[in-house]
Amino acid sequence: MSFVLGIDIGSAQSKGVALDDQGPLGSFECASGGNFKLTAEKVKEELFSRAGRSADNISRTVATGYGAKLVIFADEIKSDIVCLAKGISSLLPSVRTVIDIGDLYTKVLRTDGHGSVHSFILSGKCAGGSGRILQVIAKVLQVKVDEIGELSLKSKKRVEFNTGCAVFAETEAISRLSQEVTKEDLLAGLHRALGAQINNLAERIGVEQDIAMTGGGARDIGLVQALKEIRGHDILVPPIPHMTAALGAALIAREGLKR
Amino acid sequence: MIDKENNIFDTVKNYYNDYGFRAKDLKREGKKFIGYVCSFVPLEIITASGSLPFRVRGNIHEPITKGDTLLETIVCPYYRSVFDLSVKGEYDFLSGLVIPHGCDSMVRSFSAWSYGLPFSYFHFVNIPSVCDESSFEFFDAELDAFRKSLGKFTGKAITEEHLRQAIRAYNENRDKVRALYELRKADPPLISGTELTMTLTAGSSLPIEESNDLFDQVLTEVKGRGKSPLKKGPRIFIDGACLDNIELIKLVEELGGNVVADTICNGARDHFPKTDVGGDPIHALAHRYLDKINCPKTYRANRAGTFEGDIANRFGDVGTYAREFRVDGAILYVYKYCDPFGFEVPARKAYYQSLNLPLLHLEDIYSAGTISQLRTRVQAFLEMIGQ
Repeated sequence: MSFVLGIDIGSAQSKGVALDDQGPLGSFECASGGNFKLTAEKVKEELFSRAGRSADNISRTVATGYGAKLVIFADEIKSDIVCLAKGISSLLPSVRTVIDIGDLYTKVLRTDGHGSVHSFILSGKCAGGSGRILQVIAKVLQVKVDEIGELSLKSKKRVEFNTGCAVFAETEAISRLSQEVTKEDLLAGLHRALGAQINNLAERIGVEQDIAMTGGGARDIGLVQALKEIRGHDILVPPIPHMTAALGAALIAREGLKR
Repeated sequence: MIDKENNIFDTVKNYYNDYGFRAKDLKREGKKFIGYVCSFVPLEIITASGSLPFRVRGNIHEPITKGDTLLETIVCPYYRSVFDLSVKGEYDFLSGLVIPHGCDSMVRSFSAWSYGLPFSYFHFVNIPSVCDESSFEFFDAELDAFRKSLGKFTGKAITEEHLRQAIRAYNENRDKVRALYELRKADPPLISGTELTMTLTAGSSLPIEESNDLFDQVLTEVKGRGKSPLKKGPRIFIDGACLDNIELIKLVEELGGNVVADTICNGARDHFPKTDVGGDPIHALAHRYLDKINCPKTYRANRAGTFEGDIANRFGDVGTYAREFRVDGAILYVYKYCDPFGFEVPARKAYYQSLNLPLLHLEDIYSAGTISQLRTRVQAFLEMIGQ
């Protein structure tokens, strides 16, 4: 049996998805670290060893993400925008707008449900409006980043947080803590500010429903909830949202085999 | 994409990489170079004075280390880089500097240039912000004042005949640039965007006669290619201000696109409009520089009465080029804090939408440090229009 591999080397996390003829074979995720070439090897080896298969049987690999060109064993490199559209078309075909919250950028793209991209926009050069702020705030509050969503939903009196900038957020959070606001209220305020910034970005290219959130930021239920409230309608989140681009890369690899 | 056997492109590369070396040689022979920034300085008047115009450039690979001690960082990063290089002595071979009212950064920082640099001649050309009858009356007088000021500096009055000669030489230069652009119409183009931008940038460091010779040699070389050395790919249009380095265009071409047309200052904006011949040369120059150069710095009243009509009037050159060069997609490249372009972005986007032309809007700082971020966006854009 032959396999295809989609590998997404992000600025913070690296992800891999392998497919066989039937469907998903497995996935693996680890921190990207400082050496993208080694990380890419690790994703491939770990994924296949955990699936109990040999990586020698990979027929085609498509790489995406910030470190894609350092995946030396890849047969093809595709942009994460195109991979996200492909991934979401297989997971949630009704989706026409994808909001992907990564560590380095937030990306918004419009798609037709079959993997074609109509338009896209990325957040600016700095980390403002990206998922990085969630890591920063977790460190300030000394909680795990996976916990901040639950905490945020418990807020009784959300603070008005003024910044979506990862650097100023730290300063503002410390200043709020000195005013004795709770972690929960602070996080709810931060999620609201970040959600508003992401929504502004999305509105710049126009939004068509259904909307999905993907990327590591979509694992934060507090942020998803904030964006739902700002927009006033539901937002879909695939089960493993941060694997969407890697899945798309794998699907593109499979199409490449048929060509 | 530059063929190693083509020695003319080796010459171009030398002029581009060691920018100003020819000017330094000529200075030793007693020539005077007058530096300038922006598309709005009438180079014909400088040439007619017997001095030689030299376009000062920035350097995206050079960190700004001194300029920011003399200029606030609210100025656009391109202009800060040009200023930084200048105060660090890069252009000390110049005898003078002319700055036009091309944007607020230029007018506000003029005094910082004149205090911070060791030149014996400084002149500020006041360009009207509108294009009415009274603007031309004013601009005629302003250019005449520039002519007299330069004549006083060189010790030789600039006559109408000097001006006519210079106008002819620059019109000839613009014809050659047009001919170079014609070679981009083939698919794939006969000349890459990287080669062309390097050539035009090199030309802006040379006396006009040498620039004409260089362009002739490039034309002969490229026409002799017969078959394009490039691969077919999405045909990309670059819309923006001054792009005096090849990095963005090279990136597009490395990722499989072909840059085939532009509005950039050291491209079509500078080189396409010609000066009318026959009448009063100062008036003809005023007309060329004020009206024929299409730059967002000039406010043009909405004569159409509708938004759609207005954007078609203001950005019609984009539509014309897009059709003429059979463009598949456009990149609107704007520097952070560039107010003339910044304010226009929403209207320009609407115009591209009316053309049904895919557009990638990039806001950038003038630094090689952002190439990876640009790569992410350009790659996705090329894939999107290629799908």
